[in-house]
Amino acid sequence: MKCPIETRENAELLLAYCARKLDAESTATLERHMEICPACREFADGQRAVWEALDAWEAAPVTQDFDRRLYRRIDREVSWWNRLLRPFAPAFVRQGLPIAAAACLVVMAGVLLQHPAAAPPVAQPQSAQVEALQPDQVDHALDAMRMLGEFNYRVRGDAADSKM
Amino acid sequence: MPERVKTDMGGATAALDCDAELMLRVKEGDGASFGLLLEKHRSPVVHFLYRMVQNQAVAEELAQEVFLRVYRSRSSYEPTAKFTTWLFRIATHLALNSLRDGKNERLQERLDNDSSGMPARQVSDNRPSVEQRMVYRARLEEVRQAVAALPEKQRAAVLMHKYEELEYSQIARVLRCSESAVKSLLFRAYETLRARLAHMA
Repeated sequence: MKCPIETRENAELLLAYCARKLDAESTATLERHMEICPACREFADGQRAVWEALDAWEAAPVTQDFDRRLYRRIDREVSWWNRLLRPFAPAFVRQGLPIAAAACLVVMAGVLLQHPAAAPPVAQPQSAQVEALQPDQVDHALDAMRMLGEFNYRVRGDAADSKM
Repeated sequence: MPERVKTDMGGATAALDCDAELMLRVKEGDGASFGLLLEKHRSPVVHFLYRMVQNQAVAEELAQEVFLRVYRSRSSYEPTAKFTTWLFRIATHLALNSLRDGKNERLQERLDNDSSGMPARQVSDNRPSVEQRMVYRARLEEVRQAVAALPEKQRAAVLMHKYEELEYSQIARVLRCSESAVKSLLFRAYETLRARLAHMA
Protein backbone atom coordinates (compact mmCIF):
# COMPACT_ATOMS: atom_id res chain seq x y z
CA MET A 1 0.00 0.00 0.00
CA LYS A 2 1.01 3.60 -0.51
CA CYS A 3 2.25 5.21 2.69
CA PRO A 4 -0.66 7.19 4.19
CA ILE A 5 1.68 9.63 5.87
CA GLU A 6 3.00 10.78 2.50
CA THR A 7 -0.36 11.89 1.17
CA ARG A 8 -2.47 14.05 3.40
CA GLU A 9 -5.69 12.77 1.78
CA ASN A 10 -4.85 9.31 3.04
CA ALA A 11 -3.97 10.44 6.54
CA GLU A 12 -7.63 9.98 7.40
CA LEU A 13 -6.89 6.26 7.25
CA LEU A 14 -4.53 6.65 10.16
CA LEU A 15 -6.99 8.90 12.03
CA ALA A 16 -9.77 6.36 11.52
CA TYR A 17 -7.44 3.54 12.56
CA CYS A 18 -6.54 5.29 15.82
CA ALA A 19 -10.22 6.02 16.46
CA ARG A 20 -10.95 2.31 15.84
CA LYS A 21 -13.34 3.20 13.05
CA LEU A 22 -11.53 1.42 10.26
CA ASP A 23 -12.98 -1.80 8.87
CA ALA A 24 -11.15 -5.07 9.50
CA GLU A 25 -9.68 -5.39 6.03
CA SER A 26 -8.22 -1.87 5.98
CA THR A 27 -6.97 -2.30 9.54
CA ALA A 28 -5.05 -5.43 8.60
CA THR A 29 -3.53 -3.76 5.53
CA LEU A 30 -2.48 -0.72 7.51
CA GLU A 31 -0.98 -2.78 10.33
CA ARG A 32 1.07 -4.75 7.81
CA HIS A 33 2.30 -1.45 6.39
CA MET A 34 3.14 -0.06 9.82
CA GLU A 35 5.41 -3.02 10.53
CA ILE A 36 7.78 -1.70 7.89
CA CYS A 37 7.03 2.05 8.16
CA PRO A 38 8.40 3.80 11.28
CA ALA A 39 6.82 7.14 10.28
CA CYS A 40 3.31 5.67 10.25
CA ARG A 41 4.03 3.80 13.47
CA GLU A 42 5.14 6.99 15.17
CA PHE A 43 2.09 8.83 13.83
CA ALA A 44 -0.24 6.13 15.11
CA ASP A 45 1.41 6.02 18.55
CA GLY A 46 1.18 9.78 18.91
CA GLN A 47 -2.39 9.86 17.68
CA ARG A 48 -3.38 7.08 20.08
CA ALA A 49 -1.87 9.09 22.95
CA VAL A 50 -3.87 12.15 21.91
CA TRP A 51 -7.01 10.04 21.68
CA GLU A 52 -6.52 8.69 25.19
CA ALA A 53 -5.72 12.11 26.59
CA LEU A 54 -8.90 13.52 25.06
CA ASP A 55 -10.86 10.56 26.43
CA ALA A 56 -9.79 11.57 29.92
CA TRP A 57 -11.47 14.96 29.51
CA GLU A 58 -14.94 14.23 30.75
CA ALA A 59 -17.57 16.92 30.59
CA ALA A 60 -19.62 17.72 33.66
CA PRO A 61 -23.22 16.48 33.74
CA VAL A 62 -25.86 18.98 32.71
CA THR A 63 -27.47 20.72 35.66
CA GLN A 64 -30.82 19.29 36.69
CA ASP A 65 -32.87 22.41 36.11
CA PHE A 66 -31.69 22.86 32.51
CA ASP A 67 -35.02 21.76 31.01
CA ARG A 68 -37.06 23.76 33.50
CA ARG A 69 -35.11 26.92 32.67
CA LEU A 70 -35.46 26.29 28.96
CA TYR A 71 -39.21 25.67 29.11
CA ARG A 72 -39.64 28.77 31.26
CA ARG A 73 -37.88 30.80 28.56
CA ILE A 74 -40.04 29.23 25.87
CA ASP A 75 -43.23 29.90 27.87
CA ARG A 76 -42.16 33.47 28.51
CA GLU A 77 -41.52 33.99 24.83
CA VAL A 78 -44.79 32.40 23.76
CA SER A 79 -46.86 34.29 26.32
CA TRP A 80 -45.10 37.55 25.40
CA TRP A 81 -46.11 37.09 21.78
CA ASN A 82 -49.63 36.06 22.70
CA ARG A 83 -50.02 39.05 24.98
CA LEU A 84 -48.73 41.35 22.26
CA LEU A 85 -50.91 39.95 19.50
CA ARG A 86 -54.11 39.17 21.47
CA PRO A 87 -55.73 42.63 21.26
CA PHE A 88 -54.79 43.00 17.61
CA ALA A 89 -55.52 39.58 16.19
CA PRO A 90 -59.37 39.80 15.79
CA ALA A 91 -59.24 43.48 14.88
CA PHE A 92 -56.77 42.81 12.08
CA VAL A 93 -59.15 40.30 10.57
CA ARG A 94 -62.12 42.68 10.68
CA GLN A 95 -60.56 46.05 10.13
CA GLY A 96 -56.88 45.74 9.35
CA LEU A 97 -56.65 48.87 7.25
CA PRO A 98 -57.92 51.43 9.80
CA ILE A 99 -55.66 49.97 12.45
CA ALA A 100 -52.69 50.06 10.14
CA ALA A 101 -53.54 53.68 9.31
CA ALA A 102 -53.88 54.52 13.00
CA ALA A 103 -50.55 52.86 13.67
CA CYS A 104 -48.96 54.91 10.90
CA LEU A 105 -50.41 58.10 12.40
CA VAL A 106 -49.05 57.18 15.81
CA VAL A 107 -45.63 56.50 14.30
CA MET A 108 -45.69 59.80 12.40
CA ALA A 109 -46.77 61.70 15.51
CA GLY A 110 -43.99 60.01 17.40
CA VAL A 111 -41.45 60.98 14.75
CA LEU A 112 -42.66 64.60 14.79
CA LEU A 113 -42.56 64.75 18.57
CA GLN A 114 -39.09 63.29 18.52
CA HIS A 115 -37.71 66.30 16.63
CA PRO A 116 -39.02 69.49 18.28
CA ALA A 117 -35.47 70.81 18.38
CA ALA A 118 -35.51 71.02 14.60
CA ALA A 119 -37.57 74.26 14.86
CA PRO A 120 -35.48 77.45 14.70
CA PRO A 121 -34.54 78.81 18.13
CA VAL A 122 -35.88 82.31 17.33
CA ALA A 123 -39.41 81.02 16.81
CA GLN A 124 -40.77 82.54 20.05
CA PRO A 125 -40.02 86.28 19.34
CA GLN A 126 -41.34 85.89 15.79
CA SER A 127 -44.70 84.54 16.93
CA ALA A 128 -45.00 87.41 19.47
CA GLN A 129 -44.42 89.86 16.65
CA VAL A 130 -47.07 88.26 14.51
CA GLU A 131 -49.57 88.44 17.34
CA ALA A 132 -48.86 92.21 17.80
CA LEU A 133 -49.43 92.93 14.12
CA GLN A 134 -52.45 90.68 13.74
CA PRO A 135 -55.20 93.41 13.50
CA ASP A 136 -53.29 95.24 10.80
CA GLN A 137 -52.73 92.05 8.90
CA VAL A 138 -56.42 91.23 9.10
CA ASP A 139 -57.30 94.66 7.73
CA HIS A 140 -54.84 94.24 4.89
CA ALA A 141 -56.18 90.81 4.12
CA LEU A 142 -59.77 92.07 4.08
CA ASP A 143 -58.80 94.94 1.77
CA ALA A 144 -57.03 92.57 -0.52
CA MET A 145 -60.02 90.23 -0.61
CA ARG A 146 -62.36 93.12 -1.32
CA MET A 147 -60.13 94.29 -4.17
CA LEU A 148 -59.87 90.78 -5.53
CA GLY A 149 -63.67 90.44 -5.45
CA GLU A 150 -64.10 93.71 -7.35
CA PHE A 151 -61.47 92.67 -9.84
CA ASN A 152 -63.23 89.33 -10.45
CA TYR A 153 -66.57 91.07 -10.82
CA ARG A 154 -65.15 93.46 -13.43
CA VAL A 155 -63.33 90.75 -15.31
CA ARG A 156 -66.54 88.68 -15.52
CA GLY A 157 -68.44 91.78 -16.70
CA ASP A 158 -65.85 92.46 -19.38
CA ALA A 159 -65.98 88.86 -20.52
CA ALA A 160 -69.79 88.95 -20.76
CA ASP A 161 -69.60 92.19 -22.80
CA SER A 162 -67.07 90.71 -25.21
CA LYS A 163 -69.29 87.59 -25.75
CA MET A 164 -72.28 89.75 -26.58
CA MET B 1 -9.15 5.88 -1.04
CA PRO B 2 -11.87 7.46 1.14
CA GLU B 3 -14.25 4.62 0.31
CA ARG B 4 -11.95 2.34 2.28
CA VAL B 5 -12.71 4.23 5.47
CA LYS B 6 -15.85 2.53 6.53
CA THR B 7 -17.63 3.97 9.49
CA ASP B 8 -20.85 2.98 11.14
CA MET B 9 -23.30 4.84 8.93
CA GLY B 10 -26.39 2.81 9.63
CA GLY B 11 -27.06 4.34 13.02
CA ALA B 12 -26.55 7.86 11.76
CA THR B 13 -29.02 7.38 8.90
CA ALA B 14 -31.63 6.00 11.25
CA ALA B 15 -31.00 8.91 13.61
CA LEU B 16 -31.46 11.36 10.74
CA ASP B 17 -34.87 10.00 9.96
CA CYS B 18 -35.90 9.89 13.58
CA ASP B 19 -34.74 13.39 14.48
CA ALA B 20 -36.06 14.99 11.31
CA GLU B 21 -39.38 13.25 11.84
CA LEU B 22 -39.54 14.50 15.40
CA MET B 23 -38.71 18.02 14.27
CA LEU B 24 -41.44 17.86 11.64
CA ARG B 25 -43.85 16.88 14.40
CA VAL B 26 -42.65 19.84 16.46
CA LYS B 27 -43.41 21.96 13.40
CA GLU B 28 -46.98 20.65 13.53
CA GLY B 29 -47.25 21.73 17.16
CA ASP B 30 -46.26 18.54 18.99
CA GLY B 31 -44.46 19.74 22.10
CA ALA B 32 -43.70 16.19 23.27
CA SER B 33 -41.50 15.64 20.20
CA PHE B 34 -39.49 18.70 21.14
CA GLY B 35 -39.04 17.14 24.57
CA LEU B 36 -37.69 13.96 22.98
CA LEU B 37 -35.21 15.92 20.86
CA LEU B 38 -34.13 17.85 23.92
CA GLU B 39 -33.67 14.67 25.92
CA LYS B 40 -31.54 13.12 23.18
CA HIS B 41 -29.34 16.07 22.27
CA ARG B 42 -29.13 18.04 25.53
CA SER B 43 -25.94 16.45 26.82
CA PRO B 44 -24.01 16.31 23.51
CA VAL B 45 -24.76 19.98 22.86
CA VAL B 46 -23.85 21.13 26.38
CA HIS B 47 -20.68 19.01 26.39
CA PHE B 48 -19.62 20.27 22.99
CA LEU B 49 -20.19 23.87 24.08
CA TYR B 50 -18.41 23.27 27.37
CA ARG B 51 -15.33 21.98 25.58
CA MET B 52 -15.50 24.91 23.17
CA VAL B 53 -15.82 27.73 25.74
CA GLN B 54 -14.47 25.79 28.76
CA ASN B 55 -16.98 27.28 31.15
CA GLN B 56 -19.95 25.24 32.36
CA ALA B 57 -22.31 28.15 33.08
CA VAL B 58 -21.62 29.80 29.73
CA ALA B 59 -21.95 26.45 27.96
CA GLU B 60 -25.39 25.84 29.49
CA GLU B 61 -26.52 29.35 28.67
CA LEU B 62 -25.44 28.88 25.07
CA ALA B 63 -27.11 25.47 24.92
CA GLN B 64 -30.36 27.05 26.11
CA GLU B 65 -30.05 29.53 23.27
CA VAL B 66 -29.43 26.67 20.82
CA PHE B 67 -32.64 24.86 21.80
CA LEU B 68 -34.56 28.12 21.94
CA ARG B 69 -33.51 28.81 18.35
CA VAL B 70 -34.51 25.31 17.33
CA TYR B 71 -37.93 25.90 18.88
CA ARG B 72 -38.28 29.32 17.27
CA SER B 73 -37.36 27.92 13.85
CA ARG B 74 -39.87 25.07 14.01
CA SER B 75 -42.36 26.68 11.64
CA SER B 76 -39.75 27.18 8.92
CA TYR B 77 -37.91 23.89 9.47
CA GLU B 78 -37.18 21.83 6.36
CA PRO B 79 -35.21 18.58 6.66
CA THR B 80 -32.63 19.51 4.04
CA ALA B 81 -29.71 18.36 6.20
CA LYS B 82 -29.30 15.98 9.10
CA PHE B 83 -30.86 17.37 12.25
CA THR B 84 -27.59 17.03 14.16
CA THR B 85 -25.77 18.98 11.46
CA TRP B 86 -28.26 21.81 11.81
CA LEU B 87 -28.10 21.62 15.61
CA PHE B 88 -24.30 21.73 15.72
CA ARG B 89 -24.20 24.50 13.18
CA ILE B 90 -26.28 26.65 15.55
CA ALA B 91 -24.15 25.57 18.52
CA THR B 92 -20.86 26.24 16.74
CA HIS B 93 -22.06 29.63 15.54
CA LEU B 94 -23.04 30.64 19.09
CA ALA B 95 -19.83 29.26 20.58
CA LEU B 96 -17.61 31.11 18.11
CA ASN B 97 -19.53 34.34 18.70
CA SER B 98 -19.24 33.89 22.45
CA LEU B 99 -15.50 33.28 22.21
CA ARG B 100 -15.03 36.37 20.06
CA ASP B 101 -17.21 38.55 22.29
CA GLY B 102 -15.92 37.71 25.74
CA LYS B 103 -12.73 35.80 25.38
CA ASN B 104 -10.68 37.66 27.96
CA GLU B 105 -13.25 37.74 30.73
CA ARG B 106 -13.96 34.06 30.50
CA LEU B 107 -10.32 33.16 30.20
CA GLN B 108 -9.73 34.95 33.48
CA GLU B 109 -12.69 33.17 35.03
CA ARG B 110 -11.33 29.85 33.82
CA LEU B 111 -7.97 30.53 35.34
CA ASP B 112 -9.56 31.63 38.60
CA ASN B 113 -11.78 28.60 38.79
CA ASP B 114 -9.95 25.88 36.98
CA SER B 115 -12.04 23.12 38.47
CA SER B 116 -15.32 24.46 37.06
CA GLY B 117 -17.23 21.71 35.33
CA MET B 118 -14.57 19.18 36.08
CA PRO B 119 -16.15 15.99 37.33
CA ALA B 120 -14.49 14.22 40.18
CA ARG B 121 -12.88 11.29 38.43
CA GLN B 122 -13.51 7.93 39.97
CA VAL B 123 -10.55 5.61 40.15
CA SER B 124 -10.58 1.98 41.09
CA ASP B 125 -11.07 2.35 44.83
CA ASN B 126 -13.46 5.32 44.43
CA ARG B 127 -11.22 7.39 46.72
CA PRO B 128 -8.26 8.74 44.77
CA SER B 129 -5.28 9.79 46.78
CA VAL B 130 -4.25 13.42 46.87
CA GLU B 131 -1.35 12.63 44.59
CA GLN B 132 -3.58 10.84 42.07
CA ARG B 133 -5.97 13.75 42.07
CA MET B 134 -3.15 16.21 41.51
CA VAL B 135 -1.71 14.16 38.63
CA TYR B 136 -5.15 13.82 37.09
CA ARG B 137 -5.82 17.55 37.39
CA ALA B 138 -2.47 18.44 35.91
CA ARG B 139 -3.02 16.13 32.95
CA LEU B 140 -6.52 17.38 32.45
CA GLU B 141 -5.38 20.97 32.57
CA GLU B 142 -2.77 20.16 29.96
CA VAL B 143 -5.40 18.65 27.67
CA ARG B 144 -7.73 21.61 28.17
CA GLN B 145 -5.01 24.10 27.44
CA ALA B 146 -3.89 22.20 24.36
CA VAL B 147 -7.44 22.17 23.00
CA ALA B 148 -8.02 25.81 23.96
CA ALA B 149 -4.84 26.80 22.14
CA LEU B 150 -6.14 25.42 18.85
CA PRO B 151 -7.56 27.93 16.38
CA GLU B 152 -11.35 28.11 16.79
CA LYS B 153 -12.28 26.21 13.64
CA GLN B 154 -9.74 23.46 14.29
CA ARG B 155 -11.03 23.18 17.84
CA ALA B 156 -14.64 22.88 16.69
CA ALA B 157 -13.64 20.29 14.08
CA VAL B 158 -11.70 18.18 16.60
CA LEU B 159 -14.49 18.27 19.17
CA MET B 160 -17.14 17.29 16.64
CA HIS B 161 -14.89 14.56 15.24
CA LYS B 162 -13.64 13.14 18.53
CA TYR B 163 -16.56 13.50 20.94
CA GLU B 164 -19.66 13.83 18.79
CA GLU B 165 -18.42 11.42 16.10
CA LEU B 166 -19.80 13.54 13.29
CA GLU B 167 -18.84 12.52 9.77
CA TYR B 168 -16.52 14.66 7.67
CA SER B 169 -19.44 15.73 5.49
CA GLN B 170 -21.41 16.85 8.54
CA ILE B 171 -18.48 18.80 9.99
CA ALA B 172 -18.01 20.39 6.58
CA ARG B 173 -21.62 21.55 6.55
CA VAL B 174 -21.41 22.84 10.10
CA LEU B 175 -18.26 24.83 9.36
CA ARG B 176 -19.43 25.75 5.84
CA CYS B 177 -16.38 24.41 4.08
CA SER B 178 -15.45 21.47 1.89
CA GLU B 179 -14.78 17.97 3.14
CA SER B 180 -11.16 18.22 2.07
CA ALA B 181 -10.86 21.45 4.07
CA VAL B 182 -12.21 19.61 7.12
CA LYS B 183 -9.67 16.80 6.65
CA SER B 184 -6.95 19.38 6.40
CA LEU B 185 -8.22 21.18 9.53
CA LEU B 186 -8.30 17.93 11.47
CA PHE B 187 -4.91 16.84 10.26
CA ARG B 188 -3.32 20.11 11.38
CA ALA B 189 -5.22 20.13 14.66
CA TYR B 190 -4.19 16.58 15.58
CA GLU B 191 -0.65 17.36 14.51
CA THR B 192 -0.58 20.22 17.04
CA LEU B 193 -2.17 18.05 19.71
CA ARG B 194 0.30 15.23 19.07
CA ALA B 195 3.16 17.67 19.56
CA ARG B 196 1.70 18.82 22.88
CA LEU B 197 0.17 15.64 24.27
CA ALA B 198 2.09 12.69 22.85
CA HIS B 199 4.27 12.54 25.98
CA MET B 200 1.17 11.64 28.00
CA ALA B 201 1.10 8.11 26.53
